[in-house]
Amino acid sequence: MHGLFRWSSKWWPGTIPLAFVWAIAAWINTSPLEADLAARSNAALKASVLDKPRMAVAGRDVTLAADAFSEEGRRSAVASVEAVPGVRLVNDQTRLVPEAKPFVWSAERDVARVTLGGSAPLPASRNRLLEAGRAGLGGVEVVDRMILSRGAPPRFDNAALLLLDQIGKLKDGKVTISDNKVSLSGMARDLGGREAIAAALKNLPEGFSVAANEVKAPPYVFQAYKDPVAVTVTLTGYVPDNNVHAAIAATAGRKFFKEKVVDNLKASVGAPSGFANAVVPALGALARLSTGTLVVSDREVRLSGDALYEAAAVQIRAGLGRDFPQGWQFIPEISVRPPAAPVDATVCQQLLADLLAKAKIRFESGRATIDPDSIGLLDRLVETAMRCPTVHIEIAGHTDAEGEAAFNQALSEKRAQAVMEYLVKAGLPANRFTPIGYGSTQPLAGNDTDEGRAQNRRIDFVVRKSE
Amino acid sequence: MTYLATFHWGWLLASLLLGLAMGWIAVVHRGQSVSKVTVRWLAGLAAALVAAALAHVLPGRPGYWLDLGLIMFALYLTGCAAGSWLRDRALSRHRG
Repeated sequence: MHGLFRWSSKWWPGTIPLAFVWAIAAWINTSPLEADLAARSNAALKASVLDKPRMAVAGRDVTLAADAFSEEGRRSAVASVEAVPGVRLVNDQTRLVPEAKPFVWSAERDVARVTLGGSAPLPASRNRLLEAGRAGLGGVEVVDRMILSRGAPPRFDNAALLLLDQIGKLKDGKVTISDNKVSLSGMARDLGGREAIAAALKNLPEGFSVAANEVKAPPYVFQAYKDPVAVTVTLTGYVPDNNVHAAIAATAGRKFFKEKVVDNLKASVGAPSGFANAVVPALGALARLSTGTLVVSDREVRLSGDALYEAAAVQIRAGLGRDFPQGWQFIPEISVRPPAAPVDATVCQQLLADLLAKAKIRFESGRATIDPDSIGLLDRLVETAMRCPTVHIEIAGHTDAEGEAAFNQALSEKRAQAVMEYLVKAGLPANRFTPIGYGSTQPLAGNDTDEGRAQNRRIDFVVRKSE
Repeated sequence: MTYLATFHWGWLLASLLLGLAMGWIAVVHRGQSVSKVTVRWLAGLAAALVAAALAHVLPGRPGYWLDLGLIMFALYLTGCAAGSWLRDRALSRHRG
């Protein structure tokens, strides 16, 4: 032992090369050691949920900066790096992600882009929302403006995913989750989209409630265009269902006796209430115009075009709105077509006969009330009568042979009278017309078939040369 | 420590061998010895450095270099002791 002390006093010269070896070892090994520790520390952090983890290694010391989502997660992340073999100490610069109060998340859509904003609770749910957005909104650009925050309500992810699904049904708009209140605004992409969204919101996870659903439906549009050149009436837009569709098509067929009805209507939900009760009289008014467009948008009815004569324009402007169900609005834009050139008695008779050959003035069964479907025809008869101001016209009522002759006689007279009253109301002088009832005395066809009887029930206009 | 030993085993082995060689020479070396006072001072310095390393006083890279240096020095001393003892035994057998 004594020898060891003696010898050790002579060991010092070796420390000089040792110092060199030490310096070289430190020179060569520092960077690889730091890289190795950084790799191991990163691997150890894999299991921790952190935002923006940043790590710096100096020698054997690791500086860890990151945003953690809970105090527990923060501590366990630091502990897992401390446990890495070789790490001397960890400079803990971690902090908690700020808490959002209220916790607000939103998704906003303009036509071709969806922007996700506000707070997401975890990186995983943020990615889930982004992926769901990209997958569910096919082709729409999804922009991520989300930040990460603590304080999300339970089941936030499910609620956000459900709302993201609804964004697909909007043309533009915004959905927002504020704590556990959900609000939506914007314009639905399709008719019925608003209803579909309202139905989907019933499946919100427990604890969430709808604070405001201000999603608007696109206007429910029905259009009819009467084209005098092509002699067509084109119906486009929506009808509530197939029954209403059939009823409107049938009405159009009766009201537009001259024109071909082109039916491009589609059935869709979302019609305003009283749709058929407004559209049918509006089509009747369109039938009275020489050319015109009917646009029904939600509860607004816009009718524009040319009436055949002044009184018709006045009647349509004042009368149509009164037929509408409550809450409907009528915007008439009716002008009057300039009167056509006068014609002589022969042409006048020809024009009247042509009109009456295409359609007949119809009445309620057994009564002298003119069927509203015949107003369009009557307006054309009025217009023609105005073109021959000098002639005298006999309005001849005829019935079929069903029932008593006296009743038929009286009915034919009353019907002829009703037609004359219509002409007079339209502004024609009463002294140019003579209503005559012939009962069933002048049949055009046999009274033993339905068709024959239908042909015999008629009003004829007979032009008498003026005296 | 285990990590440092496995990572730097080559350098540590070099220190040990250097110590062995120095210890082997020191027994028969006629050169200058270090005085007892100086040895105490040096021992105190070494103890202070060990204490600094254990207390993690030096941060980052200097801290690492200190750890590495102390381990190499410890192995050097171990090598010296072993080398001197072996030389001493060899000499006494020769004399005997």
